[in-house]
Amino acid sequence: MKAFLIDLNKCVGCYDCQIGCKDEHCGNDWTPYAKPQPDTGQFWMRVQETEHGARPHVKVSYVPIMCQQCEDAPCIKVAENGAVYRREDGLVVIDPVKAKGQKKIAEVCPYHAVFWNAELEIPQKCTGCAHLLDRGYPIDHPRCVDNCHMDAIQFGEESELDLADTETLNPEFSLKTHVYYRGLPKPFVAGKVYDPETEEVVIGAIVTAKEPVKNEAWTTRTDAFGDFWLRNLPKADLNITIHGGGKSYEGTVSTKEKSVGMGNVALK
Amino acid sequence: MADQKMPDGPWQEPETTIYRGMACGGTGGELSAIDSKNGKVVRIRPIRYTDEYTEEELEGHLWSFTARGKTLKCPVKTAPPYQSLAYKKRIYSNNRVKYPLKRVDWEPGGDPDKINAQNRGKSKFVRISWDEACDMVADEIKRVRSQYGENAVLAVGEDGHCQSKLIHMVGGNHINMLMRTGGFTREVRTPDSVEGFYWGAKFAWGPGVQAGLGMYDNGWNIIEDVSEHSDMVVMQAGDLETTQNYASQWMSRVMRFWMDIGIKLVVVDPFCTYTSVCHDEITWIPLLPNTDVALDYGMMYVWLTEGLYDVDYVETHTTGFDKLKAYVLGEEDGVPKDPKWASERCGVEPWTIKALAREWGRKTTSILHYCGCHVRGPYSHEPGRTEVYKLAMQGFGAPGVQQIHLFSYGGAKQEIRATTSGPMMFSEMHAMQFYPADQSIPRTLIHRAIQNGKADWWGSPQIIFAMPDEQFEHNFYPIPEDEGGCKVHMLWSEKPCNQSCWNGGFEFQEAMRNPELECVITNHPWLENDSLFADLVLPVTTPAEESDIVGSGMGDSLEVAAVQDAAIPPVGESMSDYEISLEIAKRFSPDVAAQMAQGMIDGEMQFGLTIEQQKRSEYERSRVKNEISWEELKEKGFYVPKLDPVWREYKPNARLFYEDPDTFPLPTPSGKIDFYSEELAENFPDDQERPPLAKWVEGGPAEEGWSHDETLRGERAKKYPFLVNACTGRWRFHAQCDDITWHREIPTAKVVGKDGYLYEPCWLCPEDAAKLGIVDGDIVKVYNDRGTVLCGAKISERILPQSVMVNKGSRSDPITSGLDRGGNINLISPAGPISKHCYGFAVSGYLVAVEKVADEEMAQWMNDYPEAFERAYDPASGSHYAGWVEGVE
Repeated sequence: MKAFLIDLNKCVGCYDCQIGCKDEHCGNDWTPYAKPQPDTGQFWMRVQETEHGARPHVKVSYVPIMCQQCEDAPCIKVAENGAVYRREDGLVVIDPVKAKGQKKIAEVCPYHAVFWNAELEIPQKCTGCAHLLDRGYPIDHPRCVDNCHMDAIQFGEESELDLADTETLNPEFSLKTHVYYRGLPKPFVAGKVYDPETEEVVIGAIVTAKEPVKNEAWTTRTDAFGDFWLRNLPKADLNITIHGGGKSYEGTVSTKEKSVGMGNVALK
Repeated sequence: MADQKMPDGPWQEPETTIYRGMACGGTGGELSAIDSKNGKVVRIRPIRYTDEYTEEELEGHLWSFTARGKTLKCPVKTAPPYQSLAYKKRIYSNNRVKYPLKRVDWEPGGDPDKINAQNRGKSKFVRISWDEACDMVADEIKRVRSQYGENAVLAVGEDGHCQSKLIHMVGGNHINMLMRTGGFTREVRTPDSVEGFYWGAKFAWGPGVQAGLGMYDNGWNIIEDVSEHSDMVVMQAGDLETTQNYASQWMSRVMRFWMDIGIKLVVVDPFCTYTSVCHDEITWIPLLPNTDVALDYGMMYVWLTEGLYDVDYVETHTTGFDKLKAYVLGEEDGVPKDPKWASERCGVEPWTIKALAREWGRKTTSILHYCGCHVRGPYSHEPGRTEVYKLAMQGFGAPGVQQIHLFSYGGAKQEIRATTSGPMMFSEMHAMQFYPADQSIPRTLIHRAIQNGKADWWGSPQIIFAMPDEQFEHNFYPIPEDEGGCKVHMLWSEKPCNQSCWNGGFEFQEAMRNPELECVITNHPWLENDSLFADLVLPVTTPAEESDIVGSGMGDSLEVAAVQDAAIPPVGESMSDYEISLEIAKRFSPDVAAQMAQGMIDGEMQFGLTIEQQKRSEYERSRVKNEISWEELKEKGFYVPKLDPVWREYKPNARLFYEDPDTFPLPTPSGKIDFYSEELAENFPDDQERPPLAKWVEGGPAEEGWSHDETLRGERAKKYPFLVNACTGRWRFHAQCDDITWHREIPTAKVVGKDGYLYEPCWLCPEDAAKLGIVDGDIVKVYNDRGTVLCGAKISERILPQSVMVNKGSRSDPITSGLDRGGNINLISPAGPISKHCYGFAVSGYLVAVEKVADEEMAQWMNDYPEAFERAYDPASGSHYAGWVEGVE
């Protein structure tokens, strides 16, 4: 069974995967695997870019999202005439001839990974570059994988991939997906701790975030720049306490909507 | 599950593959494969060296080293820059010029009533034949020479960044032709990437790499040295994830490796760079654009007062330290340059300045950038020098104390490779453009030389092969008549992007409308920027359409040589710059064309060579022939040279100076790092803008002799309250590739205006946006007294208050004089020099105002300039061919 493993800790946000997909599929006809992808506006491989935090604690997450190669694929279920099928290697492929006119194949995907090509009147999505896999040249793996210069995207037999510490997207959909992610973005709280009297950063201050309902806590220390980063936090209201150099800070933040950059935090 | 056997069909049709380095830096870059079918490009992808060679054959060709218990290996798969990977869209851009074009209301002959110079950049073009075009070019050259003087043709576009080619080289073919048929005026390429180092650092540590760039000539094994010894690497204005795309993306791996072995990376930049945002480990320290000198002196104050510098090294390896100390501590002018002083100027809080200074002072620290936008602003010679001062105070050359720049990235010395700074293949014809001409004009002065009919400047100022002392020579245009001096009346450009990459773009546009310029010609594959202001546009092929011998170049994980057939036939009727120059040469004499097609075959100089013979000739003249036969190279398509057996033994050049400054002195007057330049003191004793010791220079009113008033502390800031960071964009390479549809739809590439136009982003912080009543996606005008460019608001935490970022290189889309819709920020950059004696460009870190464009104002423009708003426009690719050429469907 084929699977993708995407390690976001290696990703540098270059979009080479998105571009590689377009280069392979825009303007190229790989019938019977796929008709050409429209030049713009549709993304069989889409990098989802999100800015997190506040100056100077800003990070951007880049999450490549494509067909999740579901075992219980809603698109297969909704398709008529067997227009969407799952290959022996597990890749889910839309037959561009049989799928003509079947807009519901595009609409049913909870990952929004299937696109409606209005001009050709067909639903389209990632094929895992099955045409390359099958013919074996000039490369025998998907273009997004080939284009990635950081080896952040791997493709292969699922049993041979190291899936430790990986997650799937929206596991609550229960569709038995075969795209695995390592390092999906999680909320953080960050800040720069300083003493306004001495105009010095406070190094080694102990920073604690407490979630009062479950009474869970996360703690870290400020670094040589006075910065702290509490990572992998839940989406919650959090009480923040900071102690350092005989002074302290107390406050509250919420990660329910997004990560929090507290900026300069003065100790008193 | 369905049967995997698929029916036969086009998906199986064979494709042909060629290997080609085609980075937009112009020197090849890491190899990509172009697969094509039926004369069309199918895909462009990375290659693996194992595609053509076995692992055994590659033994001794690929480097690796171990540092701090981890091994970094030269990747077997190449990492071409992302522009290469999307180049199919560039090849088939709807902005490609497919046929020779003539401006509809221009006629050759110089009749003022028939050239309609005032309509350049306004009137449209019409298709003509190659014969007509070449005849016109040759006839105009002959006419202008006889009417005004031999040197009345200005050849623009020597050297610089462009598509990677060798035989078909962009830039210099017209010079080759003009040289052989008479005179010309040479436009000299100025030190555009390295201004601050060229005009500043040179006087501290000598001419630097390529005999003039002003960045240190590092030699080999810098990456390894840093991996083994550095604790911290500071990217002060060095967004490697963006700038490395000059040639490659391989530094991503190096930075990942460094973080994995525990090296701390710090980004000091007005923008939270693309490098900074993608790694949890990186600390971002934001500062205001072009205030690096203040930060640097604030840090040096901490080092001096807390003893955090290498006292012994300063004693033995530098001169003039007492003067630096006196300035920093305030003994010279009564103003201590302490962190509070620095903070008021650079916007970094005093506590952060102190924290950074202490980390830097205590840890073994290197500086990393490509060249850096911190040295491209007004008075850039000052940050260029304070960078040297910082390194000098921390023992420059000691293990792990390096200036890492674009010539430092190669992994290891290969036996046949002489220097880190030269590409593997280098054509003599390319070198010809550096030959001195009787009359020349710096690229930074073209607009003013044309408008004023005269110009003067100090230094050549040629980017390479320019020693520090030549900056004390005063030069003039035109030269005396009896030496061949005359005003230029014709301009021929092989690199038509002066208005998007050099200073004072709007002034350049006006200069193009000067009626004394009777003929303006551009060679270019795309109808953009300066080509819109031309009378004749000659269509040029892209690398995919040319048979050539192009290897990789500096900035890659290793260097390779490659020889390739054209992947596809020329698009439209385009020809290479080389072929165009031959066609025009034939109008002078068939002999001239034959002389230009010269080369070495079997050790003999021969003329009139075909392209295939030229490829062979370039091979013969290179050292690649020492290791592989021509036949085998052609069969394989590329070759990875052998490592030098003693590659690990080469010490970084600065190490030699560090260890033994007497035996390995620097090429400075003292042989050491000079904090204070006696040469500057002697030659320009009254220069307040570039004093002998670098200073925080704010400038001021022109009437007081200042070249700039471009800081937040000056008078002009009251009117124009933002400093603009106009560094290179992530999704372009300088002014190249702005039409790649797949890049333009990336969220950070463009902003979709409510009128459907894709505007260049103007990045603003939320606080300033709120004050200005601007919301994300609004159409805004970015302006100063030099003009107005329209942009789309991009509101982000990655920007500081009082600053905005508009990346340079978005294509011009002229509405009228002084007003541009394309977001070409360079149009409103200062049009003059860096400082009085330094005719470089200041194209970032200057003042602008930003305002939301009211609907009424836009409606007024549409009413006043309907032709500009009615031009055909495609949001996917931007302004294009059909908007400028008559009779296009």
